[in-house]
Amino acid sequence: MKKWIPIASGLLAGFVAATISFADFSAKTNTEAASTTKSDAEKVYVPFGQKDDYYLFASGGHSGQMFIYGVPSMRKIRTIPVFSQDSATGYGFDEHSKKMMGDYTWGDLHHPAFSETKGDYDGKYMFATDVGNSRAAVVDLKTFTTKDIIQVPNTAGPHCAAFVTENTEYMFLPTRFAVPVGQKYESLDNFSDQYRGVMSAVTFNEKNQKLGIAYQVALPPWSYDLSDAGKKSSADWAVMTTYNTEEATTNLEINASQADRDYIVLFNWKELAKMVKEGKYENVGGQKMIYPEKQKGGIYLIPVAKSPHGVDVTPDGKQFIASGKLAPTMTVFSFEKAFEAVKNKDFAGERNGIPILNYKSVMEREVNPENALGPLHTQFDDKGMAYTTMFISSEIVKWNPKTGETLDRVPVQYSPGHSVAAEGDTVAPDGKWIIALNKIAKDSYLSVGPSHPESMQLIDISGKMKVIQSSPVDPEPHYAQMIKADKIKTINVYPKDPKNKEAVYKQSDTKIVRNGNKVDVYGIAMRSKFIFDAKAKRPDVIEVNEGDHVTIHLTNIDFDEDITHGFAINSYNLNMEVQPGQTNTMEFVANKAGTYPLYCTNFCSALHQEMNGYFLVKPKQ
Amino acid sequence: MKSQTKKLSIVSSLILVAASILIVISLFFPWWKMVFVAPQYPEGLNIIVYPNKLAGEIDIVNGLNHYIGMANFSEKNFPELSYLPYLVGGLASITLLTALLRKKSVLYGLIGLFVIGGGLGVFDLMHALKKFGTNLDPHAPIKMDPFVPPILGHNTVANFQTDSLLGLGTYLVIAAFILLLIPLWKDRK
Repeated sequence: MKKWIPIASGLLAGFVAATISFADFSAKTNTEAASTTKSDAEKVYVPFGQKDDYYLFASGGHSGQMFIYGVPSMRKIRTIPVFSQDSATGYGFDEHSKKMMGDYTWGDLHHPAFSETKGDYDGKYMFATDVGNSRAAVVDLKTFTTKDIIQVPNTAGPHCAAFVTENTEYMFLPTRFAVPVGQKYESLDNFSDQYRGVMSAVTFNEKNQKLGIAYQVALPPWSYDLSDAGKKSSADWAVMTTYNTEEATTNLEINASQADRDYIVLFNWKELAKMVKEGKYENVGGQKMIYPEKQKGGIYLIPVAKSPHGVDVTPDGKQFIASGKLAPTMTVFSFEKAFEAVKNKDFAGERNGIPILNYKSVMEREVNPENALGPLHTQFDDKGMAYTTMFISSEIVKWNPKTGETLDRVPVQYSPGHSVAAEGDTVAPDGKWIIALNKIAKDSYLSVGPSHPESMQLIDISGKMKVIQSSPVDPEPHYAQMIKADKIKTINVYPKDPKNKEAVYKQSDTKIVRNGNKVDVYGIAMRSKFIFDAKAKRPDVIEVNEGDHVTIHLTNIDFDEDITHGFAINSYNLNMEVQPGQTNTMEFVANKAGTYPLYCTNFCSALHQEMNGYFLVKPKQ
Repeated sequence: MKSQTKKLSIVSSLILVAASILIVISLFFPWWKMVFVAPQYPEGLNIIVYPNKLAGEIDIVNGLNHYIGMANFSEKNFPELSYLPYLVGGLASITLLTALLRKKSVLYGLIGLFVIGGGLGVFDLMHALKKFGTNLDPHAPIKMDPFVPPILGHNTVANFQTDSLLGLGTYLVIAAFILLLIPLWKDRK
């Protein structure tokens, strides 16, 4: 059948041509490789066209923000405003963020925590707490924007959290400062009786992206420092460290450092939830409050070397490690032994109505690496080895929680608070990297005067620990989370929302609606113009009367990645952004008569400079 | 019809059935596309033409084209998209009919239809490209000389490199056309 050959080859050629035209042959690139063969410089160099392997989410401390870095390059990628205003993104200026922030203009963002599924980061949400103004927030990782902020009553300064349970059932917020319930006035002479360290069980509703409070626990008036949720066999439990169990009310530096032992609070959150369900709580200003001395069960104390800072659960969920801070000791406790002690009522008395577990029954070993001072916080690698920051001796010590043996140590510059390893507080840490979050950077970078930035040092832990990169960072990462980059699925543009009555997607649908002294603008931004009313003589002008209540809904109809528009009104102290496809709202009273240029603040196109109009306010007659 | 009109063989008839199936399948794939690549769009923007719709980053391309005063691409501007699927479907039916009739003369007619239809399609596309490339708004911020993008091949417009390509649908139709020719070869006298 030789005559078929030319025909068959013709068809084949056609399909080959089609395949070449349409098939995607682009090769996937990856910066990961056998790290041992690379120099330090090569390990951190991520060439253009390639991306970092990990996202680092560093808390921004009293900047109120969160900082996003790439690892291993340690390049800063983004700042997410959470508790503080940020004119660069219009955060705190547009209606949604203004309402979320309430009347606050700053926050102190301490400990960030990823949402988890089965004890592993799922890359969907990031939670954070505000020590400054007692709030909690959730950030959506599809857009890296803050979705909700909740004010937490009866508590002041949730430093110790956030920490989430294994499947993000709760985010717990223990508090650093004790205050009277309701934060009402009370003499400090009545501290032990009237003050409480209230812990809140915060829930997150993924559907409407709202935070709520399931219940609160009126713990004794101590300071709660750090915490961690159990994992696997200990998943229903959580632990947190305390200090100032002396209940000192002044000069804490001295007075809160007197007792040889403070406590770890061990609690079973499922049992607490059950108690609440059974009505074992008191209603306090709308909150379901458990008083541990009255509603017994589910909460226990474990003595620990004085004024501990971190308490961290091992990846297998079998142990928890308290870091002594003022005592040069890491104490390894066993969950199984603790459960046994709870079962057998192996108590050494009570404190403030809460049973104290027998230290010797629960403690597995005390670890005291030579000359290592100020242990603060522990992370883990893929083999379950522990890495503890030593604030005073300025180093990270690697050790084996099963044996207590010191394996390695590396100096850092200087005074690390926390550290963060790659997925280092999950059930499945990655190893590879740990980053020291250092408080002092005085000689690390070019001088900028008497105060310096903080520093984050990248340490390769694939072999002998070695600092291979150092990156300055604004104040102040207290803790951070490092997640494998492919777990986070961002969107490129906001999808059209036909149900959003504030959105306008067609130029011809733009309009300005006046109702008495209320003016509602439904406008669009596109490269390179604003259109507020397509039918007007000048579509990019908004004209109102002095005293009018003005609401501007603006939709960015450039559905094109990274084509963000800004919208500012000159001299009106107003600026917001509209990301691609997003609709955003600005609301204000036009209380100043006059002529005010409005313009796009976020450079968008070659004709960005032309993207402006006027906001005209007619004076009152 | 005279009795000496050569009947097509069964195999040829099956080949024609295959051709009609290919044509129907082609309806579900793009027929033509233009890829725009610029320094800031290394991933490329696409205008993808199906027999019944436009796909790709049409809005973005339109948004950028307004700088040079080009009219918007939209399905409204291409009434062809509303009836082209029926024409193609009709062609598939006639091909199937030809397979059933198994008459060489009908096959010649069908091949003629293909040639005429293909020619009209190419003409229509050329016409559209010319219309968009030459009717530029004189008030556009960036003044450009009128241009006609090629039906196939490479072109440069401002910061964009464009490539016009045939889609899988067209290749399927070409394959179908080749299948139509096979009976002529196979059942040649």
